[in-house]
Amino acid sequence: MILERLRSGSIAKPLAVFTAVVAIFAAVDGDHMRFLSGSTLFSTLETFATGGLIALGLGLTMIAGEFDISVVGVYSLAGCVAVLTGAQSPVLGAVIAMAVGAAVGIGQGLIVTRLRLNSVAVTLGGMLTCNGIAAVLTGNQSIAYPNVNVALAIAQPILGPLTIRSLIAFAMFGAMAAFIAFTRPGRDLIALGSDRRAAVVAGAPVSALIVVVFAFSGLCAALSGAMISYSLAAASPSGLTDVLLPAAAAAILGGVSLGGGSGRPIGLMFGVLTLSVLRSGFNALGAPPYANDVAMGAILLGVGTLDGPDLWRRAASLRLKLAEMRNEFAKQD
Amino acid sequence: MPARIDRQGGYLEQTASTSEILAVEGLSKSFGAVQALQDISFSLGRQEIRALCGENGAGKSTFVKILMGLSQPDAGVITVGGARVRIVGSRHAQNLGLGLVAQELSLAPHLSIFDNIWLGSPQVPFLHRRSALRAKAREALRALGVEDWGLDALVRSLSVGQRQIVEIARLIAREARILILDEPTATLSDSEIERMMRALRSLRDNGHSILYVSHRLGEVFELCDSVTVLRNGRHVVTRPRQGLEKTELIENILGRTLSEMYPPRAKKAAAPDVLRVQNLSVANAVKNLSFSARAGEILCIAGQLGSGADLVTRALAGLAPAATGKVSFYGKRTPLRSVSKSIAKKIDFISDDRAGEGLFQTMRVLDNLIASNLQAHSRGGLLRWGKLREYARRNAERVGLNAARLDSPIGALSGGNQQKILFGRVLRNDAPGLLLLNEPTRGIDVGARSELYRVMRMLCENGCVLVMYSSDLEEVLGLADVVLTMFKGRLVHRYEGDEIEGSRILADITHPDARAR
Amino acid sequence: MIEASETRARAPAARGLSALRLIRRSGSALVIARWVGAAALAALALSTPGFLSAPSLLSLATTVSFVGCVAMGMTLITISGNILSLSLGATVGASAMIFIVATNAGGPVFGLVAALATGAAVTAIQGAIIGSVRANPIIVSIAAFALITGVAEAFAQRGAVFLAVRSAASAMHFQIAFIPSEFVVLLLVTALCELILKGTVFGRRIYMMGSSFRAAEAVGVSSWRVLAGVYGCAGLCAAASGALLAIRYGTADMTYGAGYDYDAVAAVLVGGTLMRGGQGSALRTLFGAIFIAVVEIILLLRGFRDEWQYLFSGLIVSFAVLLQPRQGDAR
Repeated sequence: MILERLRSGSIAKPLAVFTAVVAIFAAVDGDHMRFLSGSTLFSTLETFATGGLIALGLGLTMIAGEFDISVVGVYSLAGCVAVLTGAQSPVLGAVIAMAVGAAVGIGQGLIVTRLRLNSVAVTLGGMLTCNGIAAVLTGNQSIAYPNVNVALAIAQPILGPLTIRSLIAFAMFGAMAAFIAFTRPGRDLIALGSDRRAAVVAGAPVSALIVVVFAFSGLCAALSGAMISYSLAAASPSGLTDVLLPAAAAAILGGVSLGGGSGRPIGLMFGVLTLSVLRSGFNALGAPPYANDVAMGAILLGVGTLDGPDLWRRAASLRLKLAEMRNEFAKQD
Repeated sequence: MPARIDRQGGYLEQTASTSEILAVEGLSKSFGAVQALQDISFSLGRQEIRALCGENGAGKSTFVKILMGLSQPDAGVITVGGARVRIVGSRHAQNLGLGLVAQELSLAPHLSIFDNIWLGSPQVPFLHRRSALRAKAREALRALGVEDWGLDALVRSLSVGQRQIVEIARLIAREARILILDEPTATLSDSEIERMMRALRSLRDNGHSILYVSHRLGEVFELCDSVTVLRNGRHVVTRPRQGLEKTELIENILGRTLSEMYPPRAKKAAAPDVLRVQNLSVANAVKNLSFSARAGEILCIAGQLGSGADLVTRALAGLAPAATGKVSFYGKRTPLRSVSKSIAKKIDFISDDRAGEGLFQTMRVLDNLIASNLQAHSRGGLLRWGKLREYARRNAERVGLNAARLDSPIGALSGGNQQKILFGRVLRNDAPGLLLLNEPTRGIDVGARSELYRVMRMLCENGCVLVMYSSDLEEVLGLADVVLTMFKGRLVHRYEGDEIEGSRILADITHPDARAR
Repeated sequence: MIEASETRARAPAARGLSALRLIRRSGSALVIARWVGAAALAALALSTPGFLSAPSLLSLATTVSFVGCVAMGMTLITISGNILSLSLGATVGASAMIFIVATNAGGPVFGLVAALATGAAVTAIQGAIIGSVRANPIIVSIAAFALITGVAEAFAQRGAVFLAVRSAASAMHFQIAFIPSEFVVLLLVTALCELILKGTVFGRRIYMMGSSFRAAEAVGVSSWRVLAGVYGCAGLCAAASGALLAIRYGTADMTYGAGYDYDAVAAVLVGGTLMRGGQGSALRTLFGAIFIAVVEIILLLRGFRDEWQYLFSGLIVSFAVLLQPRQGDAR
């Protein structure tokens, strides 16, 4: 079964892309050993830890056929909440932050299902509101996190190059992969995105699942925000599209299609790893900062275009037209 | 056992088995002024495959909806397994052992066969990989004769016919005893139909009962043990297939109900062909179709679901990206895959999917009426609203719409009026053209229908050619000057004038074997 | 098959909750909310000391103009059924930089032409891609955002560019009473967009595409052409905003325009245009943009700090979203 799962596109393709990127960087690096080094690995994993959780939450909403823009807002709000409440106990701060994130998600999920509104519009409002709340809570400035020990500990490699943050991230991916593969609500989630009408007709608990997915997305974004704020020993209420772009790009690279239904957590994980490697790799090789943006944009545009439902129709139509033109020319000879 | 007479005088012959698993008596249902079902009574036995036949509007789908709890009858008694029941919802129907495979499948393509079989079932525990469920799923596949299929194969990789089998397997695994299949073979290839029939026979032998709703009389005769015919909401006859002649069945389905709502055909002098279609093919759905039509003529293409008839009009309109062939209109060649070029050559199209492909739901009546004629009433890209309003008002009046309501949103209008808008959109003031229609009066009440027919005749008198696809045989018989029958993508026969005859057309489109020309 | 649509009895307008649901469903909730909200806001504004003063109105007119231009472009995109674009903000910044560089090279007129042309081209390509293969508009715009940001970073060696020829460009900036030239430009852009939407063949096609992609195709609308035009216009609007910023501040870098996408969508939503497309207008968006700007000024004048502005605009947008009528089951 595991072999079958690997063979299926949901993991094979993102894994292939990841390996290709690593190989290209290694080749370009040659013998300099700037890329294939411990520090590159470490920075890759740290980037993974930050962006991975957000991509996981966003990706799951996309698999279910929705789209959660508010991950951006929850991320910054949770960071502020965690710093403000976690001075004594970081765990308590993180838990409160996650609760806030989950609450935001539940609220949005309920609005989307009960009022039957578009999830993009609802989560856009949610994002702006979260940013606003974060700004009010912090007085629109960065706030410092006094507990320096925690800040150091959280960024400390404890298992090879893995830190608490990256371990938690990997654990979440594993947990979600198991949830999707082995539980009934996990399968229903895929059905939700694959064919919403069919899922409703078959009797799956669609509304409840959508609320759960949004709640989880909020929770993940919150956890990520809390952890990064702890590790930086500061939280700031701004920080908008910085996070959305890599999350969406990772999701698309990870095999998630905007139609819903495709993509799986492990594939998503490789999508995030690919982007993290891209960033660390460019850094390691001394490339200018814009190289990362251009590469991510180009990849996202390419995949987005190939994912377009009308692509094959246009290609087929074009092929027919070319064939007819060729016939016309042949007749004229 | 003596033959029993039902209330309408149609008689119920003894069917294959003596024990009934499903019985209805006096079932009636109306929607406002429309009587969809009237006093329906018949019964279905165990281990029986019963065909449910009838024309469009005969009441088959209403009946099925009532059985599945999606609609409540106004009167009547339903008995399942010997016990009187009131089916309150689809969950309840499933608990009673009823299962439906609708025309639109409800499978999630990204999940496996196993997952789809158990999707939404309350029996599935939180951790869903229990072997008991796998065994049941495998049992279901075995009952259908396809136990060699891998339970973990993704439904996405299956063909339509295979997916349908999975839907049936879902019902079996949840212990449905009475299976209702609605037009199951409409989109299947021959080999898939074979496999479907084998599966259904195997189910029957295993103790299930099947209600097989279909237009395809050939399959009815090959597969079913008995046949029930509905017509105009009433039960006409239920009898075993043994000894039933196809012509008799066709007569039962059709009845003799050609009403007076069709305006008389004008006697035409012989006119030259203005539309010539040669070797039209659309992927594998339409194969090498050639025909021609004259100005002022209504040409109807008759065919059931899956015959490709609806694609012929779409291809001529420019909406079939895979269409090939040669089409010329008034001697000029028309390209096949561009809608704007077709419209420029005065070829217009009215879709059968009014809501999804015809109307602009967020816009006004006025906007919808002018939608395909903007350039003619604009100058330099700027709209000339005065002329547009005049055009819209004129067309609205010609199709019988209230011109005072030009600025109201579309949603406020009835189905009939919405369809009139689509007609109003394509009325041309300039040289007559070609109007392509798919199911032009689907879902429209009698009053609006006759008005639309009047509009169609008016267009013909002005010299337009109408090429129309309709699955409503009565409409075809009433309107057409020429009828083309199609079956599985090919032209079967062309009928003209007095040759047009209901039973022959029905025979062509349901099971064209050798027949007298 | 019998359809019940013909003869389904219309539900009688009931009291209470049913009536509310009916109002929401018909979209009138937004109309009512607009009038009530405008009246309440006007009352609040007039009762705020200092609101009617020249500096306050000037500040209002200026801030609304930069985002407002972008919001006009966003309106076109939303009406066409493509929800929103997250690349317009980056286009603003890039256009501002191009304006300055080009003006330094060949004068302000050349600068303007260069900025508008690049803004339009870069965005029009996105529209063409979205229209021809029906790629997801949000994803394409995110990709474009990354590309624009990256390319702009590559070209600007030191991060910010400075306008060398101040005088010529400052001639493009004027003021009538408390109305700055930026506001005039905004009104012009609004008028143009409204003219396009309500008075041209192109505009009708935009509405048709937003209303039903397939129905539009069925009447011969070429999706990639129309969307290339829609996005091209949006690019022009964003470039205009960028040029305005460059003229005003004499300098530009990629932080200009950051966050404008969200502000623009906020203006579109508060104005009452629905995300699902097929309806809306530029005038409504103008209302939305002014509404939000007035709220911000009021908060400022009453002593609230920046962060309350963020919160209130977020709440207003959420409220506007909640008032939208429910969308159908199909995604």
